This record gives sequence, structure tokens and C-alpha cells, in this order.
Amino acid sequence: MTISQSDVRQESGRPRLSGVPADPGGAGPSSGPLDRDSRLRWVLGAVVPPVLLVIILLLAWQLMAAKMSTPLVPRLGEIAGQFGDLLRTSGLWTQVGLTLERVGIGFVIGFLISVVVGIAMGRNTLLRRFLEPLMLLLLVIPGLVKALLCVIWFGVSLINPVLCVVLAVAPVLIMNIVQGVRSVDDQLVEMADVYRLSPRVRLFRLWLPVLAPYLFAAARLGISRAWQVIVLVEIFGLASGIGYQLNLEFSNNNVAGVLAWTITFALIMTIIEYGVFQTLERLSGRWRKGAGA
Amino acid sequence: MTAALEVRDVCKTFVHRQTGRREQIFDGLDLSVEHGELVAVVGASGTGKTTLLHLIAGLESPDSGTIELGGPDRTPRLGMVFQQPRLFDWLPALQNVELATDAAGIGKPAARDALEAVGLAEYARSYPSVLSGGQRQRVGLARAFAIDPDVMLFDEPFSALDELTARRLRLLVQDLWLERPRVGLLVTHNPLEATFLADRIIVLSGSPARIVAEHRIDAPRPRQPEDDDLFALHRTIVGQLV
Repeated sequence: MTISQSDVRQESGRPRLSGVPADPGGAGPSSGPLDRDSRLRWVLGAVVPPVLLVIILLLAWQLMAAKMSTPLVPRLGEIAGQFGDLLRTSGLWTQVGLTLERVGIGFVIGFLISVVVGIAMGRNTLLRRFLEPLMLLLLVIPGLVKALLCVIWFGVSLINPVLCVVLAVAPVLIMNIVQGVRSVDDQLVEMADVYRLSPRVRLFRLWLPVLAPYLFAAARLGISRAWQVIVLVEIFGLASGIGYQLNLEFSNNNVAGVLAWTITFALIMTIIEYGVFQTLERLSGRWRKGAGA
Repeated sequence: MTAALEVRDVCKTFVHRQTGRREQIFDGLDLSVEHGELVAVVGASGTGKTTLLHLIAGLESPDSGTIELGGPDRTPRLGMVFQQPRLFDWLPALQNVELATDAAGIGKPAARDALEAVGLAEYARSYPSVLSGGQRQRVGLARAFAIDPDVMLFDEPFSALDELTARRLRLLVQDLWLERPRVGLLVTHNPLEATFLADRIIVLSGSPARIVAEHRIDAPRPRQPEDDDLFALHRTIVGQLV
């Protein structure tokens, strides 16, 4: 049985473009002066403020360096020179690669564990009550202590930094996922029960979409904690990586070197934030855009 | 004719988590529904109408008693239409329907056919939030009918809609129902809806709830919403409820 289209339209709560279904991701850019204006407005609104902040901070630093005139506060030119030296040597990429590898492996393992444990804790009150104190304990133990213990117990093996990153990110992720799971509408879970959706379908079609905002918030926090502990682990127990290099420059009293490595560090974080997190967030939230079209 | 849905001597008690208070919903409830029969369950709030559906859907377990769903030659397939459509907002309409057809092992064309049957073929790629309340409920109906269920449960399916939209959807359900005989249970607050759609109406009342009245509706389908006989029967049922 098919009812007429006019019948359906009458039911529609809001006006629609005739015959054009809402397209989730198909709102392609159109050309024209209006579009150029809106793009310009977007650039002014989204790009200018952070760039302005960076310029202000750099100018303030330069002023401070000029006023203090001490090697402890090097001028921007010195830091840039040091950064240029780092870029020219292949050592920079090797060290960055090593640190990224440690953070990456630890983060992925921590993420996978967290999704499983977080959903289980969110769904099972007894398990949540059982594991919550452990999570809180892991959250309050400083990264420095975790790094020291991992160095003492696991020495220079890859287990050390990876485990340390897992311990740093998992509690943050898990507690966020638990909150996310508890926010899931029980009625949707009931629907999934009635229609006997498989665990795989539930994970990818129900849990992950609902948890996405919680996961992104937790992943941001988790990755910053991962960086903090990895640097400490590399300072205390390893002979490579960004943390080790920072320590080396510190030992040589080379403040410009410390700052050059810090800039490297900050650039990587920026790339992760804008290149990875925001892209993934945009992709995962496409349905909201489609819904609003 | 053998019963396709048999509820025998079912007892169910809920214990309130915070107060510890026990509330006995059913104490030995019996109900039989035959193949091709659509039974409406009416009654005041709190008489266990939705609990009965949850027990049949397997969302709750009875404390004692049995619930048997008999299929002709396979495990009966169950479809359910809820008061709220319960769609995944992040999936387009078609994918919402495909969730059910995929889980039931039915091909994807069934999902598209079901959307077409409820008049939403051109909204297949639309997300639920751009659809009206009536359209969302149509997607819910499409999801339920797409799996060609042997047992169909309706939990106050149109009570959240305006009367005009609800009326269109009742006509739609009647048409879908006529396609092939199924076993149906319709929980509703609306006696007029019950008389229009059902073959039999049972009235639940009391605590623990029991069936206090039963009405057979022999009017042939398709029925008209303005039918005088149906309206007269509806008044009788209202009289029993108030």
C-alpha cells in the first residue's frame, strides 16, 4: 500500500525543498559572491583569533627577552635558529618518530581497553562499583609517579613507555565512556533488544555514535596526559625521544634548545588537534549537519 | 484454530529499587491470541499493559507462568512499534529500517520496500530529525513490518501524535495488517483506536491486573474510522473504563 506524496507532505512539520531528500554529507560548496563573503567571515572568525593570540605571545616574549637580556630568556631569533638546526638534522624526525610511536601504541591500546571496560562499567552497576575506586586511584596518581614506577619495573623496554601511556589515558577515557554510556537512552537499547541487533551492530551503530562526543573529549585529555608521561619516562629511563632531548638541552643549559624542542612538541599537538581530532569529530558529526540542512 | 500467542498463569512483581516496595502487576494472567488476530489491550495507567508487551517481547521475564509464541514452521519473528519511534538519529531513515532487516537476515530490498509501503521512499536518505513526528513513526512502522513479523506488538503507537496524523497512520496499519495474517497485540489508551484496529478488545483493571471485560469486534476490514457501530462499541468500552 502506498499513500500519496501530498499526504506525506501534509504531515511534514517543516517546509522542505520539493523532492530533495536531506543529504547527510552532500552539502557541497556552491560558488558566488555570497559564498565568498561567508568564507571570508569564517576565516575572520575562526582563523584570526588564534593567530592573533600567537602573535601577541611572540611579541610579548620578544619584548621580555630584549628587556631581560639574559641567555635564560633567549630571543625569538635564537630559538628559531635552534629550531632550524633541529630541522636540518635528521635527528629531529628520528626522535619525534620514536616518541610518537610510543604514544601512538600506548594510546591505541589504552583506547581499545577503555572502550570495552568503559561500556561494560557503564552497563553493569556492580562492575562499575567494583572498578571505580581503581580508576579514581589511577586518576589521582601523578604522571611523575607512574613514569618512575614504569622505569623501575620495566627499564628500557618498549613495555615501559607503552604501559605508562596506557595507565595515563585509560582512566580518563574509561570514566568519560562510563558517563557516556549512562547517558544512552534506555529506550534505544530496548529497541536493539527487541530487534536482536548483534553486539557488533550495537557497538558501531549505537554505542560509538552516542559515545563519540565523550570519546573526543576524553581522547583530547588523554593524549595530553600521554604526552606528559612519555616525556617523563624518556627523561628518567630512556636514551631517545623528545623527553630525552629536552633533558639533554636542559643539562647543557641551552634554554633555546629546550624551547626549540618544546615548539616541536607544541606543533605536533596542534597537528593532532586540528589534523586528527577535529577532522574525526567533523566526520562523526556529519549526521548533525545533514539533519540541520 | 490454535493459539499463536499463549500467556499462561503469568505472575510478575516489581520491587521499587529505592523504597523496596513490592508491586504485584500480574497474579496468574491468562491470554490467548489466535493466528491472524489483533487484540487490543486497554485499561487505565498502571494496569500492566506495557509490562505485558515487555513480557511477550522478552524484555522482562515472568516470575512464574509461561509465554509461548507459536510459529507455523520457524521461530516467530517479532516486530514492535513503540510510542516514540526510537530511531537512531545518526542514521538515515533507510539505515534505521535496515538495522532490523539485517538482524533478521532479510535482504536490504525489504527495507526499501517497507519504506515505500509507508510512503517514505523519497525520504530514505533523510535523517530522523528532519522528519515530522508522523514521518518518524512511519519509519518505526516500516522497521517493524520490514521483517515480515509473525508477532506484532504496538505500544501506544500513535499517542504522541496529533489526531489527524494518528488517523492516517491507523489506516496505514490497517492496510499493512491486511497483507497477511499475523498475531497482534495493541496497547492503547484510546478505545476508539482499539475498536477501529482490533478483532478483540480486552480491558485490564485492578492491582494485580486482570482481564475484567472482553469484546469481540466482528466488523469486516477495511473499516472506516467514522463507522457508527464501531463508535457505539467504543462508547461501551469507555463506560467500562470510567
